[in-house]
Amino acid sequence: MPVVELSYTRLQKLIRKVSKKQISDSLPFLGLDIESEDGDLVRVEYSPNRPDYSTDFGIALGLEGLLGIKTGAIKLSIKKSNSFQIYVKPKVSKIRPYITGIIAKNGKIDDKTIKQLMVMQEDLHFGIGRKRKKSSIGIHDLDTISFPLTYTTTNRDHKFIPLNSHDEFSISEILKNTDVGKNYGKILGNSSEVPIIIDSNQNTISFPPIINAAVTTVTPKTKNIFVEVTGTNKEDIENMLSVVATILQNAGFSLMNLKISGSNNSSPKLEPKKMTIASNVINNTLGLTLTTSKILSSLKKSRLDAISKGKNIVCTVPPYRFDIFGPMDLIEEVALGYGIQNLEPKLSPSQTVGQVNPVSTKLKSLSLTMIGLGYLEALNSSLTSKRTLYEMTNREPKKIISVLDSKSQEHTILRDSILPGLLENLSRNIHESYPQKLFETGTVFSEGMPIQEKTSFAVINAHRDANFTEIKSILQSALKTGFNLEIQTKTSSNPLFEYGRSASVIINGQSVGIIGEINSKTIENYKIRVPVVGFEISLSGLIFD
Amino acid sequence: MSQVLHYIEKKIITSLRNNPKQSIETLAKSTSLSSDQVRRGIEWLRLKNLANVNESKTVILSLGKNGLEAFEKGLPERQLLELLKNGSKKLQDLQQDLGDIFGPAIGLARKNNWIETTNDQISLKNYSSELPGEKTLKKIGNTKVSKNEIDEDDLSSILKRPDFIVETIIKSQEISLTDNASSIEISEDSTGAIDVEAKVPEVFVARTHPLKDTIDEIREIFVTLGFSEIIGSMTQSSFWNFDALFTPQDHPARELQDTFYLDGIHAKKIGTSNQIRKVSESHKIGWHYTWDINEARKMVLRTHTTCITIKHLADNKPDEARVFSVGRVFRNEKVSYKHLVEFNQIEGVVVGKNATLRDLMGIQREFYKRIGITKIKFWPTFFPYTEPSLQTIVYNDRLEKWVELFGMGIFRPEVTKPLGIDKSVLAWGGGIERIAMLKYGLNDVREFYNNNLNWLRSASKCQ
Repeated sequence: MPVVELSYTRLQKLIRKVSKKQISDSLPFLGLDIESEDGDLVRVEYSPNRPDYSTDFGIALGLEGLLGIKTGAIKLSIKKSNSFQIYVKPKVSKIRPYITGIIAKNGKIDDKTIKQLMVMQEDLHFGIGRKRKKSSIGIHDLDTISFPLTYTTTNRDHKFIPLNSHDEFSISEILKNTDVGKNYGKILGNSSEVPIIIDSNQNTISFPPIINAAVTTVTPKTKNIFVEVTGTNKEDIENMLSVVATILQNAGFSLMNLKISGSNNSSPKLEPKKMTIASNVINNTLGLTLTTSKILSSLKKSRLDAISKGKNIVCTVPPYRFDIFGPMDLIEEVALGYGIQNLEPKLSPSQTVGQVNPVSTKLKSLSLTMIGLGYLEALNSSLTSKRTLYEMTNREPKKIISVLDSKSQEHTILRDSILPGLLENLSRNIHESYPQKLFETGTVFSEGMPIQEKTSFAVINAHRDANFTEIKSILQSALKTGFNLEIQTKTSSNPLFEYGRSASVIINGQSVGIIGEINSKTIENYKIRVPVVGFEISLSGLIFD
Repeated sequence: MSQVLHYIEKKIITSLRNNPKQSIETLAKSTSLSSDQVRRGIEWLRLKNLANVNESKTVILSLGKNGLEAFEKGLPERQLLELLKNGSKKLQDLQQDLGDIFGPAIGLARKNNWIETTNDQISLKNYSSELPGEKTLKKIGNTKVSKNEIDEDDLSSILKRPDFIVETIIKSQEISLTDNASSIEISEDSTGAIDVEAKVPEVFVARTHPLKDTIDEIREIFVTLGFSEIIGSMTQSSFWNFDALFTPQDHPARELQDTFYLDGIHAKKIGTSNQIRKVSESHKIGWHYTWDINEARKMVLRTHTTCITIKHLADNKPDEARVFSVGRVFRNEKVSYKHLVEFNQIEGVVVGKNATLRDLMGIQREFYKRIGITKIKFWPTFFPYTEPSLQTIVYNDRLEKWVELFGMGIFRPEVTKPLGIDKSVLAWGGGIERIAMLKYGLNDVREFYNNNLNWLRSASKCQ
């Protein structure tokens, strides 16, 4: 989950007449988890579906609502203007077909605000922008640009001075040499043409979705801002724009509209949507009996507008709340506005009778039987390594099922047997007193339709006098006592075991597992200083399906 | 510490004062005690640090069934060489003469270059009057010989042959008194008293794994709350792990760095054609992209057990149900004291009457109460497949802070409708290790899978 750093004093300036404690008590009830607190600073985790919470301006809006200081929906007031236009050339339609944007004037920007805007931009890129693939934003100093702009394409030799640089570079050089170029260049594929925004003086403004030009950099001196969003889907880029527009308006800017035309592009609407829900659905879902007026005030506290129409509630949802898909989302908004802390948990009688799965019941009896025989239960990962499964034990790898790109060397393939893991456990306990007797039940994996999962049962015993006879006695008693099964052992060879001390386990004429004295080479590999004996049998098909 | 001595101990000490180094047998003779009594007495004295026991091992070799036969008739390869001494022979004839031992004999002789084969004739190439292993056979014969007396190289050539050599380990113990024992007074009045205050050896209880105990406890609680347990595969198609739960195919959680994909493995059948079509439509409308069935076929290690419960609901469409699933789930994370790549999760659902958000909270509160947690809070949160969504925060007295536990919510209609589920479904779930850590006072989650005997043997059963 993304994290945003807030300052209590900044929030108090934005909200007014609110104490630090009121803020910190309320944050969790907006769905913001306090991760850490350090004096005036507080770091909170917010949900990726609420990008408006990536800045303190957005969080202030939420807090005002929840605390009842200001309620109802935020309306964007966008002044009409004909001075700002973007023409879109057909060439972009194959690469990154849509552009939208807005003008924000007469605001004050300090360093902290710039930092917040940058963080918001990055979080929008990562989350709903899907790492800039679906949509990306450029924020520019309006006064460095001369309109109208053209959104078009250029070849990879095109040069300009990119953000944070003093020298000109070609598109190819930017893609090759900068971090952003390396990270996001693949979005553009191999096409020879790349998207570009150029102003009426033929200056490059931006190379979406990679980098802006240096000339339009926003600084604390910036008063007027131009925001552009480009992407693959018109609805997505307008959603993203609506978040930025809402935040800028709340940061004190006046919004002005931008005219966009050409190649299926049009000026952004940024209009609220209407949604209807019946009051009784809200109450039935939450388990409450709220009056209509309570529902309306709760929705308003969640910064939505709502009116009642008979038994229905008609909601006005501002465009930046595109996380609201339908009625269920409105129910959550009612719950949040009402206050989750005001919902009293209720224990209703169950209409059903509970039951443990028979597989769990049988595994539990087997555990208890093994405890009776003096064995301690171990637990190992099913995702393990070639080293543990094959290299240390001399076992033959069959069809290995591996995972892609594991972050841990010790967890790369699925186990096909439990015994090797238990042997590894012994190697980590050579300084503990003997005898060491362990058992484990768990899933083992093999290929087939597309993967077979079976429950396996393995037992291991290590001490000075451990031998085949002893472990066979254990197997015999465990299965006889546990499941009334008679076992036989038949000579067989297995690389895990010592020659002549290795057998297959036969039950009702079927081979169900292996038993023997562990190969001395393996014991040596693990630096274990006593003999080890063990067995492993498959329980699937034996005591359950 | 008091030094009350049992009469057995007194007898042993007295005997050892006369003859300072003795075996159990000689002590039994000199004290007129049984060897069991002597053993017990020595163990007591050892624990009181009054006696030393030095153990030594001797390996005694004797011949097994096949070894004895070779001792009488000669090794299989010797018998072969003798047959060839007077000229070459036909393979078939040799086979007849030697019977069972033909195979091993001819193999060894070939390997050692003692014979050569031309056409069907086998003839002698090198004759040796003493073959490897013969010296050992002769030395042991019908007797028992200490391993020290045998040439190891020669022994090794027949040691691995089945039933040739029988190794018996004989342990001997030499008992002596410690310095403490020399100053001890042995009074003559024999009351039969023993040192009841003395320390005794530690024995370890065999037990189920502490994490399994927690899982069992949680399972029992939900069963008593009317829930039935269902089980399912750890390997799942992306369809049930993600798509059916309305997680878009380009969602960051689906990337390789968070989820374990199985290398080159794809599911053939992922669901009914109706389920696939409707899930695909729901993604198209909700997330504005073209849904790709091949992406849904990719097999993953389940990232939650929700895939088990949702599939159960989609396949059964119950009007009234309480089911849960508990088992291993996987995340591609760096292993640390906080994170494991593989851990246990419990996940449950309620369908039917009384399925309101407050009921969901009520079930949680009851569960926590039964595991001994009474200070709980509910906070709003976000999950892609539930709305509204909440999480429980519980107060941990030991850590003196609130910690996050189970998440919960009502399945989104975008999840339930395409799968033909028309009732509202409450869902909740969370990691079990977190609860077990609170219970056992652990700070490092890896401890559950280290199988460190020191910890497993000492963790208290009831916490």
